[in-house]
Amino acid sequence: MNAETDARALPAGRIRKFPAGGLWAPAPHDFLPPEREARAFWRLRARAAATVLRQMLLHCRFRLILVVVLSAMLWGALFWLALDGFQFIRAGIGHAPTHDQVIRAVFGTFFGALMVMLVFSSGIILYGSLFQSRETAFLLSQPARTQRVFLHKFQEAVLLSSWGFVLLGSPILLAYGIVAEAPWYYFVLLLPFLVAFIYVPAAGGALVCLAIVYWIPAARLKVLLLGVAALLGLAAWTAWQVVAGPEGDLLTPAWFQEMLCRLSFAEGRLLPSWWLSSGLLEATDGDWSQSVLFLALMTSNALMGRHLALTAAGHLYRPAYSALHGQGQRRRRRKPGMPRFDALLLALLAPIPLPMRLLALKDLRVFRRDPVQWSQFLIFFGLLVLYFVNIRRLSYDMYYVGWVNMVSFLNLAVVGLLMSTFTTRFIYPMLSLEARRYWALGLMPISRDAVLWSKFFFALGGTTIPCCALVLLSDTMLGVTLLVILCHQLTCLILCVGLAGIAVGLGARLPNLREHSPSRIAAGFGGTLTLVASTLYILLVVLLTAVPMHFYLATHASRVMETLRGSVGFDIWLLWWLGAGTLGSLALGAAATAIPLAIGIRAFRRLEF
Amino acid sequence: MIQFADVARSYDGKVAVDGLTLEVRRGELFALLGPNGAGKTTTLKMLVGLLRPDCGELRICGREVVDDRRHAARSIGYVPDEPFLYEKLTGREFLAFVAEMRGLDRSAARRRIDRETARFRLAPFLDDLTETYSHGMKQRVVFASAVLHDPPVLVIDEPMVGLDPWSVRMVKDLLREAAAAGRTVFMSTHTLSVAEEIADRIGIFHRGRLHFLGTVDELRQVRRSHDASLEALFLELTEEEAGPV
Repeated sequence: MNAETDARALPAGRIRKFPAGGLWAPAPHDFLPPEREARAFWRLRARAAATVLRQMLLHCRFRLILVVVLSAMLWGALFWLALDGFQFIRAGIGHAPTHDQVIRAVFGTFFGALMVMLVFSSGIILYGSLFQSRETAFLLSQPARTQRVFLHKFQEAVLLSSWGFVLLGSPILLAYGIVAEAPWYYFVLLLPFLVAFIYVPAAGGALVCLAIVYWIPAARLKVLLLGVAALLGLAAWTAWQVVAGPEGDLLTPAWFQEMLCRLSFAEGRLLPSWWLSSGLLEATDGDWSQSVLFLALMTSNALMGRHLALTAAGHLYRPAYSALHGQGQRRRRRKPGMPRFDALLLALLAPIPLPMRLLALKDLRVFRRDPVQWSQFLIFFGLLVLYFVNIRRLSYDMYYVGWVNMVSFLNLAVVGLLMSTFTTRFIYPMLSLEARRYWALGLMPISRDAVLWSKFFFALGGTTIPCCALVLLSDTMLGVTLLVILCHQLTCLILCVGLAGIAVGLGARLPNLREHSPSRIAAGFGGTLTLVASTLYILLVVLLTAVPMHFYLATHASRVMETLRGSVGFDIWLLWWLGAGTLGSLALGAAATAIPLAIGIRAFRRLEF
Repeated sequence: MIQFADVARSYDGKVAVDGLTLEVRRGELFALLGPNGAGKTTTLKMLVGLLRPDCGELRICGREVVDDRRHAARSIGYVPDEPFLYEKLTGREFLAFVAEMRGLDRSAARRRIDRETARFRLAPFLDDLTETYSHGMKQRVVFASAVLHDPPVLVIDEPMVGLDPWSVRMVKDLLREAAAAGRTVFMSTHTLSVAEEIADRIGIFHRGRLHFLGTVDELRQVRRSHDASLEALFLELTEEEAGPV
């Protein structure tokens, strides 16, 4: 077995370019020392990050500015909200121990919820990067240490999963420090506390991810879905327990006591979220030694978590990778013939020309057979249903009709924004992806316009049905009048037609033919522009209808306004305003649909593939 | 140099590689042939340590691939069927990273990168971001990265896919030269004419089993078809093994 013989010699006349002989032995150079290996990985990351930044500054300034401005606005809004909230609590609760108890409960619940989310997000990100990326397949074929490859991806996962936490957590903690007039070291300790805190759930997520793929690679998705379902169920149950209070006793001492009692689950002494809130509250109170003690506790646990994850990766990562990639692709055979639902849909859409219907049906099939596409949408849809169903538990109906109307229009705007993320994420990239596959569609006897219109009808159907249903649910739970329901349904229709027009039109005008991934296409300049245009459009349409409706309903509910109505023909003026608002939103909807579609059709006709 | 001893691997209970025993010698260019789904890529991935065999033993330069992975990996240059490059790095930065991973110091790395740049004619695009490369350019950079550390074993999955005629010629010469210089080349391919032209020995793999091992001439003798092309022999053999449909 070990006897080795030289094989056939080089054919005569060929130039020998490899150094001859002796090179069959392993190279004399040794393995890279761990610290040099770490530096090589950091250099790799730094170079790639510098290139991305340089490219963004050169080619995606609009997107970069938009991200920075929107993040700053979100940060500022959160800071202002938190500042106001903490001042309200400070002013409202004079009794110091109760005040501390409330803050502890608020921090405990907030950081506890973020901790659970960080476990999931880091676990899911790590699963994708450790087991599904082509980069890890490349790195694992190199003589790099397995733990280094894991650590490289773990650090990325920590960064990716925690930026949202920093964006949400930092304004709140900063606002608290200002309101509580905390000493300087509170602000100094904030960052180390946050970093140490992030590491603990991230290590937990990594351990869970490795364990699931190592022990049950075949059932990993089922376990993940069960975990997400359990988490959502737990969140819904907790929210129910917290908000399901007796109506009419809001902000009374008894209400506070009950709420604190219900939030006590977040104050387990073994929870890192409790260490974080306790450490920061000790710093606020001027007890820096206790605060540093909590920081030391958190840091040691973070380091232990990291060490455990690294040790586990050393033993489990490669076998888990091999086990996962040993799972064959399961072929799902479908019944021959058209499914009943598809046949029904084709029949229902009979007024639309057949080629467009068939194209829209093809898009629907692709969409529903790709869970990655619809699962995110379904989660947000489900959360909104959960919120709307529980609107009455949130005691909105104790207020006057103006509040109910305002909440109903805010709900409409939220549903519109959800639909705009759907059209940006799924509809906008469709024409780019279709253009990449144009060898298939382009050879068929259908016009390019028909391709574009099919996308429009698909987008319209895909947004109108859930949008109208969600808003109807919200209106029913809020108990608004039939006039408001009709107004909302009309607004929904205007919104959906416009959103479909914007997404399809800009998708055709600004296609990205280089990218394969819909999410990357959506994240580019065209996708960002679609999202911004859609958001502005939603705000304008909702404001045009909501403001006159608000005043119209307010005058009918308030006695003071009734006097005003009777005196100067105010009612007629309000009806005119309501009519003008509706006409305005209709005109805006027509413009938002026709202009982008016309631009898109012209561009798509001229597009070369 | 490469030894498979009764190696097996299955996917979801379906056998992909079934008791493979094979030895590829130093300086030999071995081509693994087989239809789609025969188990070729699984074999190559086990060879480079990405997949673990369910049973059996796999050695490279005497090192066990599973237990002594890093030593085995150091002896290999691997070119996968789908070349991976970091999109946001230039070709030169990628080669520098691979050279460092392979333990080369800076001056040695620079010399080797220059050598491979000349050999693979990478100079016109080596300092561009790899996201701008065509498939052939990527394949050439990946080939360069695989031979940068002068590995005694080259493992190559579908070497000719997406290459232009000049690159095909260049890769064929490279593989023959590598074998002549004492390296072992283990490649998997569907391009039978290439295997016929440059391989010292071929293995015909079908449904996870090695159905033939030897030279193309030996295959002709076994099949008693002295003038038949490798393509004809391959189709005859695999259709026979597949049985009536």
